[in-house]
Amino acid sequence: MLGKLCKAALVTVGIVALSFGAAVAADQELPADVVAAAKKEGKVAFYTSFFGAKAHLDIIKSFEAKYGIQVELLDVRASEMTERIRTEQTSKRYIGDVTQNGAASLVRQHRQGFVQPHGGIPNANNLLKEHQASEFGVPTYILGYGILINKNQVKGDDEPKSWQDLKNPKWKGKIISDDPRALGGGNVMFSAFQDKLGDEYNTALSQQGLILSRDVGNDERRVARGEYPMRIPQLFSNWLALKSLPVKFIVPAEGLPYIRFDFGILNGAPHPNAARLFINHYLSEQVQVAYAAAGLLPVIDGILDKAGEAGAELKGIKLMGTTDADRQDSMLDRAKQLYP
Amino acid sequence: MSEQTAGRLTVRPSDGVQMMDRLRALASGRNLAVIALVLLLGFLTVYPMSMLLYGSLHSTPPGSAGTFNLDGYRQILTAHNVVVLLNTIGISIAKTIPSLLTAILLAWIVARTDTPHRGVLEVLITLPFFVPPILTAMAWGMLGNPQVGLINQTWKAITGSETSPINVYSYGGVIWHMSQYTTTFLFLFLVDAFRAMDPALEEASRMCGASRWVTFRKVTLFLLLPVLTSGVMLSFIRGIESFESPLFFGTPAGIKVISTEIYDSVTQRAVPNYQSATALSFVIMGLMLMLVVWQWAVLRGKSFQTVTGKGFNPGVVKLGAWRWVAYAFCLLFFFVTTLLPVGQLAVGSFFQFFGFYGWEMLTLEHYREVLADTEFWRATKNTMMLGFVGATATMVLGSIVAYVSVRTKWRGRRLIDAIAWLPWMMPGIVLAIGFLWGFAMLPAQIPIYGTVWALFLAYLSLGTPVSVRVMSGAYAQLSFDLEECSRVHGATFFQTFTRILVALAWPAFAVGWVLAFFGIMRELSASIMLYTTGSEVLSVVLVKRWANGLAEQVSVIGLMMMVLVIVFRWVQLVVIKRRISTL
Repeated sequence: MLGKLCKAALVTVGIVALSFGAAVAADQELPADVVAAAKKEGKVAFYTSFFGAKAHLDIIKSFEAKYGIQVELLDVRASEMTERIRTEQTSKRYIGDVTQNGAASLVRQHRQGFVQPHGGIPNANNLLKEHQASEFGVPTYILGYGILINKNQVKGDDEPKSWQDLKNPKWKGKIISDDPRALGGGNVMFSAFQDKLGDEYNTALSQQGLILSRDVGNDERRVARGEYPMRIPQLFSNWLALKSLPVKFIVPAEGLPYIRFDFGILNGAPHPNAARLFINHYLSEQVQVAYAAAGLLPVIDGILDKAGEAGAELKGIKLMGTTDADRQDSMLDRAKQLYP
Repeated sequence: MSEQTAGRLTVRPSDGVQMMDRLRALASGRNLAVIALVLLLGFLTVYPMSMLLYGSLHSTPPGSAGTFNLDGYRQILTAHNVVVLLNTIGISIAKTIPSLLTAILLAWIVARTDTPHRGVLEVLITLPFFVPPILTAMAWGMLGNPQVGLINQTWKAITGSETSPINVYSYGGVIWHMSQYTTTFLFLFLVDAFRAMDPALEEASRMCGASRWVTFRKVTLFLLLPVLTSGVMLSFIRGIESFESPLFFGTPAGIKVISTEIYDSVTQRAVPNYQSATALSFVIMGLMLMLVVWQWAVLRGKSFQTVTGKGFNPGVVKLGAWRWVAYAFCLLFFFVTTLLPVGQLAVGSFFQFFGFYGWEMLTLEHYREVLADTEFWRATKNTMMLGFVGATATMVLGSIVAYVSVRTKWRGRRLIDAIAWLPWMMPGIVLAIGFLWGFAMLPAQIPIYGTVWALFLAYLSLGTPVSVRVMSGAYAQLSFDLEECSRVHGATFFQTFTRILVALAWPAFAVGWVLAFFGIMRELSASIMLYTTGSEVLSVVLVKRWANGLAEQVSVIGLMMMVLVIVFRWVQLVVIKRRISTL
């Protein structure tokens, strides 16, 4: 029944999309009976490993206001989310409906049989062609990583323009870096370098005496205070909050390493219709604009023009590369070799 | 014995009587109490640990298909891990010894000397223990970094030197940060033990010609042995498991310890390696158990009773002019461990960003944001409720376990004492996984997982080792004749327990309650694994803000917790003072 409804919805969405050509795609709604069923379910349990992001709360409010469906948010760190979901799924304590994780984590959860086909999300038709939905996963937004510099210590021509500039001996012992030996931004950057710049680049960078740390929030402030002139990789969205400090975000010529967050519907989800409705809402223009304004790259075209100052800065940013489920451990191992 | 004859079971009368006697003996109040305690502690500690033991012996965590093997234990048998273990033990010893010496001195000054304003000093000295470690780590990062740290800048300005004398991102920084918590923790353990000491024994020693130092060493410290050994062990074990200090100050300096290695196995792999992490935790636990056995051996056969039926007033040593030196020492401790870091946080909370102080940056926005946040208020309500109920339940359980362990000769008391130790010996991050697995794998008819009960039971388990240690130390100082006297005069067991033992050990109970309450308030590992929507607690809210770079809001919440601590400690000391004056 659900499958037929999805097919019907997709066909409808396709027809609508063709009718309107290439204009910024309008939001699409799930069939009325799915919406009605979702409202009857009354709530949706939303698990996310994008821990503590304030933007979630605004999005949730907008969803609750629009549909009258209560959202129960559970946000924990990625490793804790992974184990919670595994434990709930294997013990058949089905509490969560929707999971939002890094794309690689979602792929692993799919392989373990913890997520079910989403059954069609109308707004997924508006996704950028390089970020298409699969049967199980629906992209939601992208976190981009660049370089943070202290403007008082790195001036004029000293400003790095390329990731290659970090190999300059003058930066030896002066760059603080998120630890590439651990999951997170540091290792995503390491993986992207390995793919795009080669092992030689990572080897050369490891000889620059990087100061490895896992205290992201504090490390940004340390650069602002002048403890270190430079930090890699710097999350663009975090930088927005630091703009009034003497720091600058650099987008290197090769682009930004990135992590994409994807949605999936958990197996045994007690509120499957509300889950679909929630995911669809996430891909609406309103929500995508809100996330872009918070410094996250949207996955729908035409959004950045409407996302104010942050949107303007994000426009035209090139993405360099990311990690994937099959290579995460080998990348961590290689990082451990280079940074013993 | 029974006989089976022609298909019928025949029981001889004498066998039946014996069996009934045995059953009666087994069903006696004493045995039932021991069985109930073993079952309760077993559920709280052994059950989640059995899940972890399964995890250490199975290729996959509970619920997932896999095979039993010893790979987890094989993986940890490496030269690298031996070095990391020795490193960890070294750091723990290095922070425990100076912390212990400082704590003894501070506790003695506060409890046994005529130093002015001792009540105020006692509250001030204990404050560092209650500040969330991520806050003090941030503050010390700003004070002691070699590049632009306030202390180094001041030093350079005064001396004209080009070099920075302090670098918190080092072994010294790790040990220093840990010591602030250990010293106050040990102080809390010791100060009431000093108070509960009848000075008659020390006076007798002095009358027999012993010097003040010899008396202190051979009488005072000896009588404190149960409390001292418990405190040292708890502190040493916590040092082995300490996580925040090595993570914040050790990682940038390449310092590796067991807790960060376990953290890596669990959280920093694409597929968490629980088998290795749990195996390593059990090896550490085995080593810790040896310490407990050592404590039993040290204390066995000795009497530490100083509170008897005879009335006494805790003796006060008159220091003369030296009392101002003692006063200055206490203030210096408060200044360095509290005022310097917390002052930095307090000032920073009124500016847009920490470390950037200008009129244009002054703001109350962080306070407004926190106070307007519904999640913060929900978490505060939940934490208060769990803190009050959890701390009270923990202390009641701890009092009972300690009573059975210290004041009785009941069979099984050693087992109860050992079980109560277990949660303290397992790194928090691993034990949290044990709770998650344990509660989720219970039959569906026992709906603990996903409810506030999961948090309550986890807190009860985690707080029991401290409550038992605190109450054991206090009970060990009480003479048996007090109890015997009460029973001879017709009091029931319950009346004796509440009106004699609990009444006399009240100060220790109150200290334990505060430790348990703030332990619950600070606990993160289990909280983050077990909380659900609507049951958020303050520690989770704190770390969410921290992860999003909202350090100023974290400070606001931390400062509110500090105010709460001061109020609690003040009330506690007023209550204790009243009770002690009536002893």
